[in-house]
Amino acid sequence: MTAIPIARLTPLAWLRAGPLGVIWRSPRATTGAVIILLIAVLALLAPLISSYDPSSGAFTPWIKPGVGHLLGTTALGQDIFTQMLYGARLTLLIGIASGLISTAIGTALGLTAAYYGGRTGEVINTVTNIFLVLPGLPLLIIVSAFLRGGGVWAIILVISLTGWAWGARVLRSQALTLRNRDFIHAAVSTGESPARIIFKEMLPNLAGIIAANFFGTALYAVLSEAALSFIGIGDVSKVTWGTMLYWAQAKNALLQGAWWWVGAPGLGIAVLGMAFAFLNFGVDEISNPRSNHAGKATRVLRRKSVPKVVDAAGLPLMSIQHLDAGYVTPSGPVRAVRDVSLDVAPGEFLGLAGESGCGKSTLAFAATRLLDAPGAVFGGEARLAGQDLLSLTPEELRRTRWKDYSLVFQASMNILNPVIKVREQVYDAMQAHGVHDKTKLEARARELFELVGIRPDYLDAFPHQLSGGMKQRVVIAIALALEPKLVVMDEPTTALDVVVQRQILQEIDQVRRRLGISIIFITHDLSLLVEMSDRIAIMYAGEVVEEAPAQQIYTAPKHPYTQRLMTAFPPLSGARERREGIPGRPPSLAQEIVGCPFYERCAVHLPGTCDVKKPANVEVEPGHRVACFLQSPAVKPAVYQEEHDLASD
Amino acid sequence: MNYLLRKFGLLLFTLWIAATLNFILPRLVPGDPVGAMMAKYQGQLTPAAADALRVAYGLNDQGSMSHQYFIYLGKLLRGDFGLSISQFPTPVIDVIALAAPWTIGLIGVTTIISFLLGSGLGLYSAWKRGSPLADWMPPVALFLNSMPYFWFALLLLYLFALKSSVFPLSGNLDPFIGEAWTAKWWSSMLRHAALPALTIIVTAAGGWLITMRNNVMGVMGEDYLAFARAKGLSEGRIVNRYVLKNALLPSLTSFGMALGFVVGGSILVETVFSYPGLGFYLYSAVAAVDYPLMQAIFLIIAAAVLIANFIVDMLYAVLDPRVRDGK
Repeated sequence: MTAIPIARLTPLAWLRAGPLGVIWRSPRATTGAVIILLIAVLALLAPLISSYDPSSGAFTPWIKPGVGHLLGTTALGQDIFTQMLYGARLTLLIGIASGLISTAIGTALGLTAAYYGGRTGEVINTVTNIFLVLPGLPLLIIVSAFLRGGGVWAIILVISLTGWAWGARVLRSQALTLRNRDFIHAAVSTGESPARIIFKEMLPNLAGIIAANFFGTALYAVLSEAALSFIGIGDVSKVTWGTMLYWAQAKNALLQGAWWWVGAPGLGIAVLGMAFAFLNFGVDEISNPRSNHAGKATRVLRRKSVPKVVDAAGLPLMSIQHLDAGYVTPSGPVRAVRDVSLDVAPGEFLGLAGESGCGKSTLAFAATRLLDAPGAVFGGEARLAGQDLLSLTPEELRRTRWKDYSLVFQASMNILNPVIKVREQVYDAMQAHGVHDKTKLEARARELFELVGIRPDYLDAFPHQLSGGMKQRVVIAIALALEPKLVVMDEPTTALDVVVQRQILQEIDQVRRRLGISIIFITHDLSLLVEMSDRIAIMYAGEVVEEAPAQQIYTAPKHPYTQRLMTAFPPLSGARERREGIPGRPPSLAQEIVGCPFYERCAVHLPGTCDVKKPANVEVEPGHRVACFLQSPAVKPAVYQEEHDLASD
Repeated sequence: MNYLLRKFGLLLFTLWIAATLNFILPRLVPGDPVGAMMAKYQGQLTPAAADALRVAYGLNDQGSMSHQYFIYLGKLLRGDFGLSISQFPTPVIDVIALAAPWTIGLIGVTTIISFLLGSGLGLYSAWKRGSPLADWMPPVALFLNSMPYFWFALLLLYLFALKSSVFPLSGNLDPFIGEAWTAKWWSSMLRHAALPALTIIVTAAGGWLITMRNNVMGVMGEDYLAFARAKGLSEGRIVNRYVLKNALLPSLTSFGMALGFVVGGSILVETVFSYPGLGFYLYSAVAAVDYPLMQAIFLIIAAAVLIANFIVDMLYAVLDPRVRDGK
């Protein structure tokens, strides 16, 4: 099913598919690779390109660059262009060989340290640290000075022996995180040999880092060779770009005005070095993709203009209308939220449930403009008290955030800034919205901590001194600081243990009843929602398929998907029975879905209807909306086609 | 506290390794280093100097290796590095005392400037990602950082000292400058230091730019940044208290390696400008096969880099509360 027919691959596809495929996915790395290949080709074809001998001084000395001698001649009458061509051979050899050797040493030591840990790891770690801080070039100089006359391979060896430490450190830390992953634990417990685990399981996952490290050390090697040659250590009778600089300096090329003699090999080294650096940088960028939260506000790519503010009277507190949102990817847009409309009344607890990847978090983040790039809103409205959040300028948005609505993210170890005190992180939310009086800040902070059940002393703590549950309480305290009308909670307790989860949920419930705030609570835990919510909306494949008061969803679910979901969770009371999952997978959100998104997995679907038309979301009972042809024959009108077009631009 | 003790332990241990390396190396080379020097100097080396050398290497001493080793360590602790060959009979320690302040001044000041400049630009380049200026910075930085230091030094020398004599060709001061610390002395000192300093700053800042850019991008993916943004904090506050404070920490961790690299590069920069610091003397010592001077300079440079690293480790403990608690 997933196999791609070979015939469809372009002739060069193996370049992308192979282990070095990362290189071609980064324009920077590609540039680097092309430069190095070019230099390598020139070096290999040197005898074809130039008929001169690189070391024979057959010409008049100090000829300027010109037609006969592209880069002029040396003081000894050698052709500099020819020397550049031949010199590239040894320069490349030294760079690549040293890069390979030191990467091999670094990889072996780093992986061993990470795999075995304990005493072995400690010893390797100490040795690595020593080599890291010992200044490389002075060490190189002193060692090479004693090994003088050892030839090229002695230089390669010395460079490799001083250059491996950084790679070992980076690899160790990466391998350590890998070592703690489930599949490695599984391999260890099934009794696979260490060598097999290291080479077959861990190494492939570290390929990108190892490649980046190789290019980094190759750069170091090229520069080190140049430096050593320049001060005359090493074999200056061999032609490398480094020894060319040595002779240029020894013969006072610059005093003679022969800048080309110095310029050419130096530029060669710099360009070759840059090519290695580009590869290092590019491969690293691709193999460690970094998400980021730097965008000031989610991009809104709406075509239709909407009024910025409408009269809030008679409107629900939060009103999401026909929201279309998702991600802009190189292979086209992914519409994770599809024409979703939802209202939240003042003081209401709205539960939003669905499987992972159904778009529930995307919906919450898009509506509050917190969806990070490449996320974007393609269309629709999200009004809080009549004001369209999607029309706000970044500064207006900044002022609205936290004051009118706040967010509680999934519990995470890094949700609080590790290097500043908890107090400052409680204060700054209030300070950003105009509370500056120190005594007020302090009083409010203590009050909030009491509210969520933490001793106010913890205001003086740093985040690492708090447990996961306490951190999440701090986050909730911060979310309540300015008594916003709406708090969006995205799986706030999923990562916590059951006891802490229960305590925190009870506190959230008490607080919201006392303060009368509305809550949108996102989770995949339906049984929890049934207990806590006033109303529940069920999402599937980017659409809200059912929406009803919590009790009704629990006792009389109407959509086949909701019905399956309800039986997938054990009831709170009653006899134990066999639980069944839902076979199949949700459809890909990168494609257009013609009929009902649940069609494939639905046991009661109507072929010829459900797979060709989209059911409209219809209120079948007061307050109970559902999109299913079994409940209503209404077909969804294609009114919002305009935005859909935009999404596929 | 535990953390700093451990770091201090590593400092002493590394110093000891460096010193031991220094002891073993001459003994690993086939033949007698003194013989090699005698050959090189073709009789210019007086018998007295040769004897001094043999003493310096413990070659007159037929005692056991371990005995020689402890004598060597004892001498090191007293700052006795023996006599310089190329400047016989000046004690090596005197040469170093003369040269060290120039190197420490040059590298110290330029390292701080390039760190601040590079990190600042790196922060800009990551934070404003997508704007043309910010996106052009990394490739340029990678190129500058890939230039051999000494080559860039040669270019500057050619352009600003040879072609147009804006700056002096070599040395650290004008001859016969008189009293130190006078206005005239300062101006001469700065004019001589300008090109070497510029070389180090231009080539080293690129490295810091890349490091800082990577760190900032790492921080930008952290959950606490998304949370800070959701809180509606001002951009200035997010940059100062959330991004910068966290992104600087890994920069400090990589400081050790980077410093070693800068020091290595500076050795050659001093050579190009005949700037009479440790690097210049190391080069001269290599050219003159002056092993005692070479080894002493290596040890001193290693010690200086290690101490600088230790200072950075202390700074790290001040900036990162997790380290203070030993986590």
